[in-house]
Amino acid sequence: MAQQQFIIERYNPDTEESYEESFDVDVQPGQTVLDSLNAIKWEQDGTLSFRMSCRHAICGSCAMKVNGQSMLSCQTQVDSAAERGDPIRVGPQGNQNVVKDLVVDVTKFLDQFDRAETWLEPHEGQDPPEKEYRQKVEEFDHWSHASTCIHCGACYSDCTVAAVDENFLGPAALAKAYRFVMDSRDSKREERLQFLSEEQGGIWDCTRCYMCVQACPKDVLPMDAIMELRTMAIEAGFTNNHGTRHHKGFTSGVRKRGRLDEMMLPVQSVGIGRLLTGNISAHKEMMDYTPGAIRLLKSRKLLKIAQRHGANAAGREQIQRIFEEVETEKHHHNVDAEAFGAEFETAIGGH
Amino acid sequence: MSKYAFWPGCVAQGAAPELYTSTLAVAEKLGMDLVELEAAACTGAGIISDGEPYLQDVLNARTMAMAEQMDLPLMDICSTCVGVHRLAAEKLREVDYRIRINAHLAPEGIEYRGSVDPRHLLWILLEDVGIDKINSLITRPLEELNLGPFYGCYIVRPERTLDFDANPTRRNSLEQLIEILGATTVTYDGMTKCCGFPILTMNKQNSLTMAGTHLEEAQSLGADALVTPCPLCHLNLDAQQPDAAKVIDRNLNLPILHVPQLLGLAMGIEPEKLGLTRHVVDTNRLLNKIGA
Repeated sequence: MAQQQFIIERYNPDTEESYEESFDVDVQPGQTVLDSLNAIKWEQDGTLSFRMSCRHAICGSCAMKVNGQSMLSCQTQVDSAAERGDPIRVGPQGNQNVVKDLVVDVTKFLDQFDRAETWLEPHEGQDPPEKEYRQKVEEFDHWSHASTCIHCGACYSDCTVAAVDENFLGPAALAKAYRFVMDSRDSKREERLQFLSEEQGGIWDCTRCYMCVQACPKDVLPMDAIMELRTMAIEAGFTNNHGTRHHKGFTSGVRKRGRLDEMMLPVQSVGIGRLLTGNISAHKEMMDYTPGAIRLLKSRKLLKIAQRHGANAAGREQIQRIFEEVETEKHHHNVDAEAFGAEFETAIGGH
Repeated sequence: MSKYAFWPGCVAQGAAPELYTSTLAVAEKLGMDLVELEAAACTGAGIISDGEPYLQDVLNARTMAMAEQMDLPLMDICSTCVGVHRLAAEKLREVDYRIRINAHLAPEGIEYRGSVDPRHLLWILLEDVGIDKINSLITRPLEELNLGPFYGCYIVRPERTLDFDANPTRRNSLEQLIEILGATTVTYDGMTKCCGFPILTMNKQNSLTMAGTHLEEAQSLGADALVTPCPLCHLNLDAQQPDAAKVIDRNLNLPILHVPQLLGLAMGIEPEKLGLTRHVVDTNRLLNKIGA
C-alpha cells in the first residue's frame, strides 16, 4: 500500500467557485483512477461529483482528464498515470460546460449525432426484415473498428477544433457518420457525403491533429474516418469546397515540380475558376492573403518562394511517372480504399 | 563523421528558408554529413492523402527506399514530414501492401524493404549526437531565456508510431534541448496542440484563434520566445502572428525560433547566418537579451 496524491479540479455550481483540492489516497497495485475517486468520495469528501457506471470500459460514463489528457478513469491505473511521487491531476472533460466538479453537460456533444443523422436509413421499398438488417462479414470488416464507439466523449473533449468552434461536428459524430456511409444497409451514402462536405463544421474543418485518435479508448480512429470521408466525398464529386481545391492544388504542384508550390497554392485554393468568373467572395479571399504576402516580402521570404524549388530533373521524371501509373491503376482497383485498409490493419493490429 | 540521408521538406526550401540554412550551419559545427535527397518528392503532408492516400504512400515509400539504398538513417527537419514518413512506414509494414506499392518503384530500380526509421533532427540531437557533444560546443549559454516549446502535432501524435516507450527522450525532447542549452522551459497547455496551419485557407478564423490562443498563453506565462521543430507551425505562429493578434484581440510579440536556430545561437553562430533576421516577428530584443 502506497500513498498517492490527487489534485482535483472542482467546481461548485451554487457558489460558482472553481478551485483545486488535493487528496491523499492509499493505493493498491492495479488500483484505477476511478477506484481512487470512489475512495475519496466514500472516505474523505462525499460531495465530490463524477459520473461512473460499469467500471469495465464499456459504458463510457467516466471519461475525464487525467494529467491533461482525456481517458476513461476506470481503465487507467494509478501506476500508469503517474511516476511514483508525482501527483495525478484530475479534471473534467474539455470543450463542454462543467455542471459540478468532474461532471460536464454532454448535450452539445450528443446533439452533433442528431445533426449528422447517425441512424440507419434503409433502402426504400424494402419491408423491414423479420429480425435484424443483415450484411456480410466482408462488408462489416472494413469499418468494424468504427462501430466500437462508446460515446464517452474523450475525443470531443481533446479536439482542437471543438476548442475554438462550437459548430464543429466533432470526431465522434463524424466517425459515426462514416460508419453509416460505409454500411451497405444504408441508402443515404451520397446525401451523407454531400452534407458532410458542405456543412459548416464538417469534414473539411478538421486540422488532422490526431488528438482524437490519441484520446479514443476504443481505437475508433476518428480522424482516419474523417480522412476517408474526405477521399470518398471527392470521389463522389463533392468538390466545390476549399478543402478539395486545396488538395487538388497542392497535389498538382507536387505532380509538376515534385514539391509543394507555395506560389500557386493560394490561387488554387481560392479557385482559378471562381476568380475568372468574377466570384466576389473568391476575390475577397484573395485579398485576405495580401497582408500575409506583404509580410513575407518584408522578411525577404517571398523571393525564396518565387524561386519555386523542385525535385531535381531525374526525380521529377520519376514522380510524374508515378502519378500517371497511379491514375491508371485507379481505373481498375480502389487503391485508396486499400490504403485505408492497410492503415487500419497496422494501426489497430499494432496496439 | 555521422552521415544521414537528409530530407529538408518543401517549406524549409520555400517560405521558411532560414530553417534550411540554420540546419546546414548547425550540422557543420556538429560534424554531421547530410546527403540531401534531391530527387525525392514532397511527403504530401496529409494533404495529398485527403484524396489520394495510395499515391501519398507511393511517394513516401520511394523516399524511404532511397535512404535504404544509401544505407543511411533518414533525417527530417519538419514535424509534419517526420510524422507522415512514420505513418507511411507503419502502413508499409503490411507485406501485401508493400509489394503493391513497390511495383511503382521497380521501374526506377529501387525497392522499399521496410527498414527505415525516419527521425527528426531534434531526436537525432538527443539520440545520436548526445548531450556531452552538444555541451562541449556551447559557447553562449542561453541562461537569460525563458522558452516555450511548440511541438507540432505529428512529432507527438499518434504515439503508436513514435516509439516513445523505446525512446523515452522523445516524449519531452524540446524541454530537454532547451535545458541542455541553459535556458528555462515555460510549460503551457497549448504546447502540444495544433497551431491551426492546416486549416488556414479553409477556416482562417478557427486557424488563427488556435495560433493566437497558444501564443498569448505562452507570452502571458513569461516566454521570451517559442521554439518549434515544425516549419508549418512556424508559418502560423510567426508569419501569421499579426493577424492572429487581431483575431484574438490581444497584443502579441513573441519571436518563434526553429530548433537549429536555437542550437546555433547557443553554439555561437551569427544570428544573420541562422536567418534570424528573416522572421516576421522581430528577434532583436531576444538577441540583445543573450548578447548575440
